[in-house]
Amino acid sequence: MKISLNWLKKYVDVKVSDEELVRLIGARLVEVEGVIDESHKYDKIYVVRVETAEKIPETHLTLCQIDVGGEELVQVVCGAPNVREGMLAAWIAPGATVPASVHEDAPFVIGKRKMLGKYESNGMLAGADELDFGDDHSGIVEIDPMIAEPGELLADVFGLDDSILEIENKSLTHRPDCFGLIGFAREVHGILGNEGKFSAPELEEEILGEASHDLGLSVEISDSRICERYTAIALAKHGEIKKKYLTFIDTILAKSGMRPVDPIVDATNYLMLLTGQPLHAFDYDKFVAVSGGEAAKVVVRLAKEGEKLELLDGREVELVGNDIVICSGEVPVALAGAMGGKSTEIDEMTRNVILESATFSLYNLRKTQMKHGIFSEAITRFTKGQAPNQTLLVAEACARMLKDGFRVAEVIDNYPQETRVGEVKILVSEINGLLGTEYSKELIVRTLESVNFEVMAEGEILRVSAPAWRTDIRIPEDVIEEVGRLLGYDNIVPTLPLHGTPNQNRMWELKTQVRDIMSSFGANEVLTYSFVSEKLFEKAGLSKKNAYRIVNSISPELQYVRQSIVPSLLDKAYVNQKIPYDQFALFEINKVYQKKWGMNEENVPVEKMRMGFVLAERKGVGAAYYKARKFVDELLRELGISAEYVSITREYDSSTSEYVLGMPFEKKRAAEILVSGERIGVVGEFKNSVRHNFKLAEYLAGFELDFDRVLELGRMKKVGKFGFKEKIDETVTTMESYAETLEKMQAKYPEAEISAVSIYQPEGAEAKNITFHIEKS
Amino acid sequence: MEELEKLKLELKNLNFEYAKIKEIAPEKRGEFGRELNAKKVAILEKIKKAEEELLNEEVEAIDVTAPVGVNEKLPEVYSVFQGTKHPLMTELDKVTGIYQSMGFDVVESRQLDDEYHMFDSLNFAKEHPARDGYDTFRTEEGLIPPAHTSTMQHRVLKAYRDRLKEGGEIAVVVPGRVYRNEDVDATHEHTFYQCEGVYVSKTCTMGDMLGILREFFEKYYEQKLNIRTQPGYFPFTEPSLEFLIEKPKTLGGKKGDFLEMLGCGMIHPNVLKMAGIDPEEYHGFAWGGGIDRLVMLKYGLGDVRYFESGNLNFLKEF
Repeated sequence: MKISLNWLKKYVDVKVSDEELVRLIGARLVEVEGVIDESHKYDKIYVVRVETAEKIPETHLTLCQIDVGGEELVQVVCGAPNVREGMLAAWIAPGATVPASVHEDAPFVIGKRKMLGKYESNGMLAGADELDFGDDHSGIVEIDPMIAEPGELLADVFGLDDSILEIENKSLTHRPDCFGLIGFAREVHGILGNEGKFSAPELEEEILGEASHDLGLSVEISDSRICERYTAIALAKHGEIKKKYLTFIDTILAKSGMRPVDPIVDATNYLMLLTGQPLHAFDYDKFVAVSGGEAAKVVVRLAKEGEKLELLDGREVELVGNDIVICSGEVPVALAGAMGGKSTEIDEMTRNVILESATFSLYNLRKTQMKHGIFSEAITRFTKGQAPNQTLLVAEACARMLKDGFRVAEVIDNYPQETRVGEVKILVSEINGLLGTEYSKELIVRTLESVNFEVMAEGEILRVSAPAWRTDIRIPEDVIEEVGRLLGYDNIVPTLPLHGTPNQNRMWELKTQVRDIMSSFGANEVLTYSFVSEKLFEKAGLSKKNAYRIVNSISPELQYVRQSIVPSLLDKAYVNQKIPYDQFALFEINKVYQKKWGMNEENVPVEKMRMGFVLAERKGVGAAYYKARKFVDELLRELGISAEYVSITREYDSSTSEYVLGMPFEKKRAAEILVSGERIGVVGEFKNSVRHNFKLAEYLAGFELDFDRVLELGRMKKVGKFGFKEKIDETVTTMESYAETLEKMQAKYPEAEISAVSIYQPEGAEAKNITFHIEKS
Repeated sequence: MEELEKLKLELKNLNFEYAKIKEIAPEKRGEFGRELNAKKVAILEKIKKAEEELLNEEVEAIDVTAPVGVNEKLPEVYSVFQGTKHPLMTELDKVTGIYQSMGFDVVESRQLDDEYHMFDSLNFAKEHPARDGYDTFRTEEGLIPPAHTSTMQHRVLKAYRDRLKEGGEIAVVVPGRVYRNEDVDATHEHTFYQCEGVYVSKTCTMGDMLGILREFFEKYYEQKLNIRTQPGYFPFTEPSLEFLIEKPKTLGGKKGDFLEMLGCGMIHPNVLKMAGIDPEEYHGFAWGGGIDRLVMLKYGLGDVRYFESGNLNFLKEF
């Protein structure tokens, strides 16, 4: 949303600098995303009078002498058809920049030049498009002689020396009233601590004049939950509204990012910007004709499933039961709050008009917005939940704006159940207690009253009634927020509460410890996405059946919640091997989810903490298995866990997804990691197919550990033995596996620590020689 | 091997079948084509599987019970100089460390949660447009990879509420991974880290919240900082604020260059009530902010996408 500071200042007395004003608005009302400086946009653009206008034969051009407020007339050639003697126009003097081009890369600077070889032309007479007030290129703008004289700066006449605030809409989600300038100004009035209650002349009741009752109009609301209030005014044409002059309203629409269209639409748009209340205008006669009746019968109801409606933008939409429609009798003619219908569109032939000023359920409109993809200024305001208090006032203000062309024929205000704002009772001490402030009762009362709250003080007790448009004020905390915000959170003195000693989070500490250990082993910690592709599962030999699927994923790459860590690391191993890094080891500790684990006691999916590890070398020789095993074994040893590595004998079935983490591993060259007989992970090389799928060099291995189990087991840390140790090496020649041989050695040297030195198998020999290192205490 | 040959022959024959389509009545051609295609897909799948099996059969078994390969050198881990920790994790440790020194427990956030914890328990009205602001992902089951660490607030309040009865306070920070369905660019990631803080006691004030936050940022950036607030809106806090710090000169900041660091506010009474804490007796405050941004500022990083790139060129800088 864009807000002109000059416009704002018409409603609030501002005594601070613009810079301070913007800071205060940012600190106490809303996030200001940026400030557009337009203070020089209209430099050297003047109001001038065309004194003579002579057609140049055989061209569309006119040679003009213009009064620019100086002693002498200035000559300018003009191409517009509507230039004529005596009119006031806007003149862009030589050396000035065309306003519509100021934000372009190469702003267009007007000069002095010769036209047709002989007519000197100084500067230019400007059209609305060049002045950045719209798209109208049909002629030059004309200025009302009642408001300006030749020689005046255009910027002075219309307040164009301005700064425009860009407001982050999200930070006002809960404040529908601030989506209109008056509501915004009211807040600024309070923030600045200005005296007295805020008021805006446009919304003060003013006599509209007696309606003539010569156009039939009724309003029926089928359910007040979808439409709290519907005000309709029938207007009958009694004159012409000629759009002759450039108006203040045109400039406001332009500064707010909208475009002037025609007098009726401009009036409704202007009032929406001013009050936050969107309006809609129907062609009365078309409205009546649609249902074939004699009088206009407005009906607000939910759409019937499958009903069709052609919108103003030419689209035909198929309605659903949630959409609210405005009907003429039985026939839908507009999608309420979102967009009008083609069948009742205003055009040049329009004689009579129905003005609609209503509120609709934001919940329904929100769904309508999503369903039909409508993101207009109006629906943006409606979906914040406009309060119903001002529909009649705004409709009347609109009728007044159009009074030159239309008289009021009928006013219907259907408001089945008036919204009442309750009273909140709060103690002064509660306000100060929560904020940590020492504001006096008087200051608090004055502050609340400045934004039109009513406060009854009985000693320390405040009985606070919010104004009708503040439907968000319901509980004491809401009032505390108003006080804290309007007086400035930056006036609250930061303090520190006392605190106790925190408890340990053992998993968090374990992860910290493991990161230290692994990086000391030369491994690199990575973070990879929790969402993976179906392709990644396929490459790693996993089934997708067991994975949670994201229905609104950004891309197929991010469609599933990952079931294990290693596949993501294989993917990153490829990236790094390609850079190229000759050797590296990647690891990540993170959470994974699998459907078969089911739900926990809170009825959310069971989650598991896992550590994945992949090492890859471009030139490595031998079995990578042993290196990966070295990493995991050293890591577990540091954590005080001694593990066994046993052949994988069971099937990891992809279809039932039994032991998913083991799926990418090659059973013949991988082992299950057992601690006290319990399986906590798998270490080893990957299937050839997996390695091929990830396009990785041959020397490749990894592991994945169940970290919840590691945490449990790490508790049982063994105390190392100290003192003198006898150390011997012993070589055994054997055909058995290492594990079997080790078992025999352990029987021979109970209590001793035994490790391998080497395994040697001479060429052609059947048996191998295993050399053990034995440390006896 | 034989199996594979057989399959390939089958595929070849199938390709001939396609030629027969001309002999089929035009109205039946669609069905005929579909059937053939289905067969083809099935065969191709089988071929792929057979090829993979073949590839995997070539593998020679090793003695996995041994710590070293036959006739190989004893394996060694890599050089310590090669190792790195992820900067986000290192910094997240520092963050939690600072809060721990201020008396806060650490509870890690979930990565897959439900509507109740993400929204309902945080006083978001059903169907309220405020829910749209979070751009959440959803699974088929309607589960939500959380879009903020506040998804843990209700749990933390429930798990710790007995502390209040014992006369203590609730003081917990919640680091974790969060997800937003938004377009990725240099300053936006769909996956990032946040840290939430929750504090509840009988006497705490908004002044305490601002004090804790200032203390944290000054410790983290190791210098005195100018702080600023601006009004915000979150359904689960009342009042709600945005908390800003002036970008320190040492990090290239200029005067008046304020950065939004987090959202915060006094916990809404409904949130306390839903967690079984009496809002008449206790109140609290909570905050949550991105960690990625914190770290990017500290190291002067320009692109958030590096964090999850897994690229060693980046990781080795830390």
